[in-house]
Amino acid sequence: MASMTHYKKQDFVWLALMAMTLGSALIAESAEPSVLVVIAIAGTVMVKGRLVINRFMELHNVHAYVRFSMNLYFYVLPLLIIMTYLFPEFIAELTRLS
Amino acid sequence: MINIALKASKWAGIDSTDSRYDPLPKAGRIPGNGPVWVGIYAEMTEFALMFLIFFAAKVHYSDVFKEGPLQLNIYAGLLNTLALLTSSYFVAKAVGCVRMNQINKAIYWLCGTIAAAVFYLLVKAWEYQWNAEQGLEVNSSMFFTVYYYMTFNHFLHVAWGGGAILWAIFRLKRGGYTPQSHEGLEAIACYWHMIDLVWIIIFPLLYVLR
Repeated sequence: MASMTHYKKQDFVWLALMAMTLGSALIAESAEPSVLVVIAIAGTVMVKGRLVINRFMELHNVHAYVRFSMNLYFYVLPLLIIMTYLFPEFIAELTRLS
Repeated sequence: MINIALKASKWAGIDSTDSRYDPLPKAGRIPGNGPVWVGIYAEMTEFALMFLIFFAAKVHYSDVFKEGPLQLNIYAGLLNTLALLTSSYFVAKAVGCVRMNQINKAIYWLCGTIAAAVFYLLVKAWEYQWNAEQGLEVNSSMFFTVYYYMTFNHFLHVAWGGGAILWAIFRLKRGGYTPQSHEGLEAIACYWHMIDLVWIIIFPLLYVLR
């Protein structure tokens, strides 16, 4: 039944969000900072954000522009997390006031 | 854990087969109403500007931004993240219950949201106290200036978002939301999810990326 599937998916989404959060904390506590770690954390942010937007906010079924504008937040910010790690001097130069 | 979640779903009557109500959101319809979406986009823009300031400050003060997260209590950040994600789940469940005409159970889910919000606020207050005992204050470094500005702003959003959830409980008790008409509840739910979304970004920026 469609409604059962819809609401049971929310249960699994909650479990996935819990697992990803615990995984992030574990990485923070144990792993040395590296490109892979930063990419993994940025990827986790993207997936968590999209799950909340699509499954809890229930935007998975709405007009593409609305869905895209919300999801865009969770494409751009993870990308900025990675770029800040990879190109700090370039971003510092871009944001220098004088 | 999966069993607990599935049993919780069954208890909430989410798998009801009552054909009088449409248990799913209508395809293509944006949940909530226009004004709340103006608010959501405005709030997310405000936080986006804070994130941009965070990134700019991080590249200009790289040493203090490397040390800053190590000085924070990651367990406080972790507990707050788990509480907010769970509160968002509870709100989503409450909306589902109203669609199924399970009003009392929707109220229980929203009470769970309030409990999670209060837990968040208490943990955050304790974290600020813990920081103060370590000598970590707004002026300790650029990292802590950004940290306090961002987290206290978010703290205020959780507090008044909790007020909106209390209003939703009051309206539910008064019969203000029905399976056919619950736009106001959806609007409050979407606003609450927005608060959760912002924290999903704050947590790794301040506590995880070291």
